[in-house]
Amino acid sequence: MSKRKGKDAHLPVGECITLVQQILRERLCHQQLPDKPDGIEAQHKHLLELLKRTAVHGESNSVLIVGPRGAGKTMLLKCVLRDLLEEKEAQKNLLQVHLNGLLQTDDRIALKEITRQLHLENVVGDKVFGSFAENLAFLLEALKKGDRSSSRPVLFVLDEFDLFAHHKNQTLLYNLFDVSQSAQAPIAVVGVTCRLDVLELLEKRVKSRFSHRQIHLLSNLTFTEYLERVQTQLCLPDDFPDSKFAQDWNDSIQTLCEDKSVEEVLQRHFNSSKDFRSMHMLLMLCLSRVSVAKPAIKPADLLEASRLCFADAKANMLHGLSILELCLIIAMKHLNDVYEGEPFNLQMVHNEFKKFLQRKSNSMYNFDQPVIMKVCINMKPLSKFFLPFNSFPATRFLESNTLYCFRCSSAMIGRITVNIYIFCMKTDKFNIFPSKPITYTSCFSSPSGLRAPAAAGADPTG
Amino acid sequence: MNQSGAESFLGLCLSSLSISVEGLPRTTVISTGQHILIEGEDEDNPYVARVIRLFGDESGKQKKAVVQWFVRVSEVPPSKLKLLGREPHPQEIFYYQGRSCDDEVNAESILRPVQVIVGPLGVQTDLTALCQTSTTHTVTSAEAGLDSDDEVVMKKSRHAAAGSRTPRSKQKSRSSTRTPRKTPNKKVKVQTDAFLRWSAPVVSEISLPVSSLCEQVAPGTPRTPRHATPSIPSRSLPARQPANVLEEARTRLHVSSVPESLPCREQEFQDIYSFVESKIIDGTGGCMYISGVPGTGKTATVHEVMRCLQHAADVDEIPPFHFIEINGMKMTDPHQAYVQILQKLTGQKATADHAAALLEKRFSNAAPRKESTVLLVDELDLLWTRKQNVMYNLFDWPTRRHARLVVLTIANTMDLPERIMINRVASRLGLTRMSFQPYSFKQLQQIITSRLNKVKAFEEDALQLVSRKVAALSGDARRCLDICRRATEICEHSSADPSATGLVGMSHVMEALNEMFSSAYITAIKCASLQEQLFLRAVIAEFRRLGLEEATFQQVFVQHQALCRVEGLQPISVSEGLAVCQRLGACRLLLLEPSRLGVLQRIRLNVSQDDVLYALKAD
Repeated sequence: MSKRKGKDAHLPVGECITLVQQILRERLCHQQLPDKPDGIEAQHKHLLELLKRTAVHGESNSVLIVGPRGAGKTMLLKCVLRDLLEEKEAQKNLLQVHLNGLLQTDDRIALKEITRQLHLENVVGDKVFGSFAENLAFLLEALKKGDRSSSRPVLFVLDEFDLFAHHKNQTLLYNLFDVSQSAQAPIAVVGVTCRLDVLELLEKRVKSRFSHRQIHLLSNLTFTEYLERVQTQLCLPDDFPDSKFAQDWNDSIQTLCEDKSVEEVLQRHFNSSKDFRSMHMLLMLCLSRVSVAKPAIKPADLLEASRLCFADAKANMLHGLSILELCLIIAMKHLNDVYEGEPFNLQMVHNEFKKFLQRKSNSMYNFDQPVIMKVCINMKPLSKFFLPFNSFPATRFLESNTLYCFRCSSAMIGRITVNIYIFCMKTDKFNIFPSKPITYTSCFSSPSGLRAPAAAGADPTG
Repeated sequence: MNQSGAESFLGLCLSSLSISVEGLPRTTVISTGQHILIEGEDEDNPYVARVIRLFGDESGKQKKAVVQWFVRVSEVPPSKLKLLGREPHPQEIFYYQGRSCDDEVNAESILRPVQVIVGPLGVQTDLTALCQTSTTHTVTSAEAGLDSDDEVVMKKSRHAAAGSRTPRSKQKSRSSTRTPRKTPNKKVKVQTDAFLRWSAPVVSEISLPVSSLCEQVAPGTPRTPRHATPSIPSRSLPARQPANVLEEARTRLHVSSVPESLPCREQEFQDIYSFVESKIIDGTGGCMYISGVPGTGKTATVHEVMRCLQHAADVDEIPPFHFIEINGMKMTDPHQAYVQILQKLTGQKATADHAAALLEKRFSNAAPRKESTVLLVDELDLLWTRKQNVMYNLFDWPTRRHARLVVLTIANTMDLPERIMINRVASRLGLTRMSFQPYSFKQLQQIITSRLNKVKAFEEDALQLVSRKVAALSGDARRCLDICRRATEICEHSSADPSATGLVGMSHVMEALNEMFSSAYITAIKCASLQEQLFLRAVIAEFRRLGLEEATFQQVFVQHQALCRVEGLQPISVSEGLAVCQRLGACRLLLLEPSRLGVLQRIRLNVSQDDVLYALKAD
């Protein structure tokens, strides 16, 4: 154990696993930057050139990075900044200001933040002084005093750019773009947004000052590239201390990616979204199942992770409901179909329930109105299924027996009815609570749940 | 200060002063150099001072004293106390150097003398100080520059309020004419009830230079530096100069670069020039309204006019004048316009109301040797308020006899006066209007050529294409310059050898135009995932079925499920479907209602159905 020969030393499996977890988690969760941007080289080059010209030549610019969520906009920007700052000339000069539309919700806050990040003189400690008007005048004065060749260039990064367009009069955007189009301190304004129609949000005088450069990040990814990417994300780097383990791990990843069922799962994910963030989520779930006892990712892990990712949040809420509650939901669903989405009240639900009981009176106890009401109140947290129309306080609700209205979402209930139908056939007992969670198999075998309550009532004992 | 100095000069100098001390039968004599207690707001903790000079005013009735103030430990800001480097004694007092307090007090406000023991480090111990009362205070004097300049300024503003503070009741009963003029910030607190004499006087003298104090104190007591000079730091390495023809062209084409002349606006230039010039020469005032879509050179032309006029004034062709500029977008509130005008005119800072009053006074009163003022108001529409008093004032001042004010206003809309101004405002604005037409393609071409100024970087055809395209769309010169700039970049990248780049040709310009004007919707649909594309298809199918341009998610989802089956894909769950829908909504391919409505949210397309079908068919 004691003789470690540098790279070829064999580490204990536990240590290796910890290292693997650490490296991969870094990649998947901490959004570690890749060494070179895959598939977006052109955009990378464009942006890098643009920012370099600001940093080195003092040329003012403005640009928008547009792309769907999870397409790698921020990653691109960070990569570019990393590469830019490698250059000494840029590193010494460039000042950076990072703003986010979700944090700087109005221009007042944004201005304070800019002043703070630029360390201008009216900042003492981290506090910025002066009223909104003074701050604006101060900042504009500061930018105006500078000129192209002598002042340090400032990079403004506006994350969630579209939210800045909602600020009053778009004062901040106007001023930033105006500075970028006039002979003042050199600035580069980089907006990051996922809205394709972002230019339409700008006022025409603001729009005219914007240079109309847009970098679109619309990935034209094919499935093979997607698969490759999954593989590279999971592979261990060459400088892993235990080369034997790394080799084994990489081989297992290779076989994993060639597996038919894995490919199917990944294809399904790819079909649903090309977003890298959701892919990382999936891989993260797989990774968390790796342990000392099982030092590799198996296809089963991926299937399980995929099942978790695709789990229907709303259907999950129905797990563990009592029979009465399920019956009521079915009744509501039935009513919803009958009345085509019109609201209905509790009395109607109760009547529907009684109708059902008449057909199958031996299988379920006929609950009284108060009990039904109580159940409905308890189901309120499930309001994803029905929207209370006029939510009365409980006491009044109990007095006025017909005023509580529901609206069911039939796509949801369609599935429930099918499921409860299956469940009824399995247990053949109505007056017990389901002892195990309902399994949602063949969710879509029945095209609609229209006749389900009746069917549920008629079939089980048969 | 001046006044009080004169007063004291006229007044009769006294060598000593007798006062009656409360609770003591005799009168007490106070002489120069003695330490005394002076009444303040806090009855228990009167102020401490040392008499420098005693005098009476002309009538001889009012006796006054010039004093040197001391501050108590409790008065010293904690951050500065730290600089002392030791625990101060609660009875310790410090030499006060600030000049924010009046150092003249009325004799009536003197309570009694007090003994001050100066410690070993300090000035020599003065135990011979007269102590006619039994009150003895152990106080040490130490010098500490407690007030930096900016502090003084801040205190001044509070002075007025402090003056009106009611002095304590006892004072009132004794003399109603007494005016204790000390500011409240000198809340010196010595416990008068302490009849103590410290056997071992705790004493030291701090002598730190004031400047270093300020620096160290700053983080603890944050306040705006008084003379904040806003500026972006200078770069450590100089900016690189353009190296080749394309870079040179790019620099010249940047909107910010100031051209030698403004082509294609000669007529407008002449009109504005003669308007302003005649007003300056006549010493009268007037208004002018300039309108035009963005990027047609309104502000640039006015600036050019001003440059020329300034030059003319420098060579004494016309009388000198002030030029000030405000921009509606560069202020946070319309009323800030007053503040900015006042500041640019006189350098004064004032609140909006006060500034309005001052400007009103300035423009209505006659003053000898008054210069004309030319005021440029950019983005006029943002100065609109409900009562329109800002606009009213701006257009009313030029009509005053002594104002000598010329107001040039700029806005984007031609009919702004008719649309948003009430009659009395519009009437004062007058009818001197000018409208800048969007540039025609010839003008745009001329602008680029003149900017390039014989730098040969573009093919003629390429220039013509850009200018025709922009002229057809907006006539915005900024757009034109930006496209040309982008085209030079594309040209630079496309050539393999950066040193031997050719001219910017048609293909480069076409590429730049495509980048800037083409909408990304179609590409976005092409690049969307399979389920997203299917969902768009489902939306269109549902719209066709309903004959409406709107459907709920629920309805679309049914279609989506059907389409999935047709395509042989595994149908997706509702959650997944909602996620797909949200993703399309985030890109604004779809318009959605808030997502809390779940399956009932309504969906609309943000692109035309034809575009969607075209994009989906292509692949």
